[in-house]
Amino acid sequence: MSAQTTSMRDALYEAPGPKTKRRTAIGTVVSLVLLGVAIFFIIRQFYITDQLNERYWSFLLEWTTWRFLLEGLWGTVRVAAVSGVISMALGLLLMLGRISNSKVLSAICRVLTDLFRSLPSLLLIYFFFLVIPKYGLRMPPFWMLTIPISLAASGVLAEVFRAGVNAVPKGQVEAAMSIGLTHGKIVWKIVLPQALRIVIPSLVSQLVVVVKDTTVAYVVSFPDLMQNARVLISNYDALVSMYFVVAIIYILINYAINHLSIYLAHRSGNKIISRETENPL
Amino acid sequence: MAASDTAIIQMHHVDKHYGQLHVLQDINLDVHKGEVVVLIGPSGSGKSTLCRTINRLETIDSGEILFEGKPLPQEGKELAAYRAEIGMVFQSFNLFAHKSILDNVTLGPREVLKTPKDVAEKEAMELLERVGVAEQAHKVPAQLSGGQQQRVAIARSLAMHPKAMLFDEPTSALDPEMINEVLEVMVELAREGMTMVVVTHEMNFARRVSNRVVFMADGQIMEEASPDEFFDHPKTDRAKDFLDSIRGH
Ligand SMILES: Nc1ncnc2c1ncn2[C@@H]1O[C@H](COP(=O)(O)OP(=O)(O)OP(=O)(O)O)[C@@H](O)[C@H]1O
Ligand SMILES: [Mg+2]
Repeated sequence: MSAQTTSMRDALYEAPGPKTKRRTAIGTVVSLVLLGVAIFFIIRQFYITDQLNERYWSFLLEWTTWRFLLEGLWGTVRVAAVSGVISMALGLLLMLGRISNSKVLSAICRVLTDLFRSLPSLLLIYFFFLVIPKYGLRMPPFWMLTIPISLAASGVLAEVFRAGVNAVPKGQVEAAMSIGLTHGKIVWKIVLPQALRIVIPSLVSQLVVVVKDTTVAYVVSFPDLMQNARVLISNYDALVSMYFVVAIIYILINYAINHLSIYLAHRSGNKIISRETENPL
Repeated sequence: MAASDTAIIQMHHVDKHYGQLHVLQDINLDVHKGEVVVLIGPSGSGKSTLCRTINRLETIDSGEILFEGKPLPQEGKELAAYRAEIGMVFQSFNLFAHKSILDNVTLGPREVLKTPKDVAEKEAMELLERVGVAEQAHKVPAQLSGGQQQRVAIARSLAMHPKAMLFDEPTSALDPEMINEVLEVMVELAREGMTMVVVTHEMNFARRVSNRVVFMADGQIMEEASPDEFFDHPKTDRAKDFLDSIRGH
């Protein structure tokens, strides 16, 4: 019964012997050299095309530039955070409906889940931006962006949650039944807490998708990080430098999200998993 | 260990199929208050299924099962309330993996019996003490050995003050050196007059504490006898073959 905290990598490979160690060392050197060469050529290309010229980069030293980017970042964070919360709640409801005893409710939830999951979020955004206003329902750009992103993510999350629920061993439910817990209590006290822990990594991947989805904000003219970056690009005619900076910011955001997940998984997983508490990293 | 006359569990003409497979065939079985009944038989003979029909983890196709003279509730709150009166111990322990040992034991009393937290915890600690795992109260199940987990599972059932307890091969998943610590707890329970239905192949346990051995094969009850009679003078060939096979090579 004792599960182990071995990571997938530990499970796939045994401890390296002398030959493997030598091969790994050679591999490392080769990849470092290749990486160095690649970086060299990129920088050389930038130099040749004059992208390293000071005039493309100096605006980054101005406070107004960063204030504008930070405003955009704040927009991105708001959309991503609100979408994250809505999509998790909605995804949970869709999943609960789908596994409920009512055939009708279950069918409705299945159709909605598949619909949200299969439509590209951009298409949903166009729907909220172009179609719905035609019928007199006006909403601010924030919601024209947040609602479709939430819907798209909720479909995926409903499936993620369902996979988590299915992964909870049947014996857990039987034990809960045998001490007289009612159906609702079994779901809320036994199944969901365990299912959520199981799916934390997938939840986080989906949050990353949400953050990336926000970059289509320009469609509804919502000032997110990407949209503000575009403005700066046209103002300063600084395509490469601006994209470079924005890319780094997105990487940092998603890096932070991933670390949050490792922290969460570690904190809650510790309880379930194993007596050999080794570092999961 | 005197079994009184009232049968607390009664099964009349119970049948069950899994598709084509007739897993329970015309099962008739009475279990009296304070009685310890051991179910024994080859793999696939339907012991687990029988055991699980008693608290309706498995439904039946026909026949009836009565508890304290009343038919089992079929669903909902009534069924949950009925199950709360019957303890069940599983082969694979099934402790709630995300809860501490203490919370495993207090969950039922707090959620079902509405026992106040401090009372539930005090009682849980006494039970854990009794089964010898009180020091582990604040660990999680994965940190305990199999034998310890199974003793916690018994404590979890006892916390509900059950009127009867079902054990489905409680020691089969355990390393040999841990089997006795679990059996000791069960022997103690039997001494205190708990009504027990036990699926097990532990012959010493059966001889020492059971009032009756029920031998199953192919979904049928083939033989019912006192343990000494069954183990020393089995009547059917199936039972003889089975006993030879577990006494072994
Ligand atoms: N959910 C199920 N669906 C279909 N067949 C099942 C199911 N559960 C059990 N069976 C079959 O029913 C028969 C009886 O199973 P059961 O688990 O009651 O046997 P058992 O006597 O407890 O055996 P063991 O000693 O191996 O635990 C077996 O042939 C088994 O394969
Ligand atoms: Mg079995």
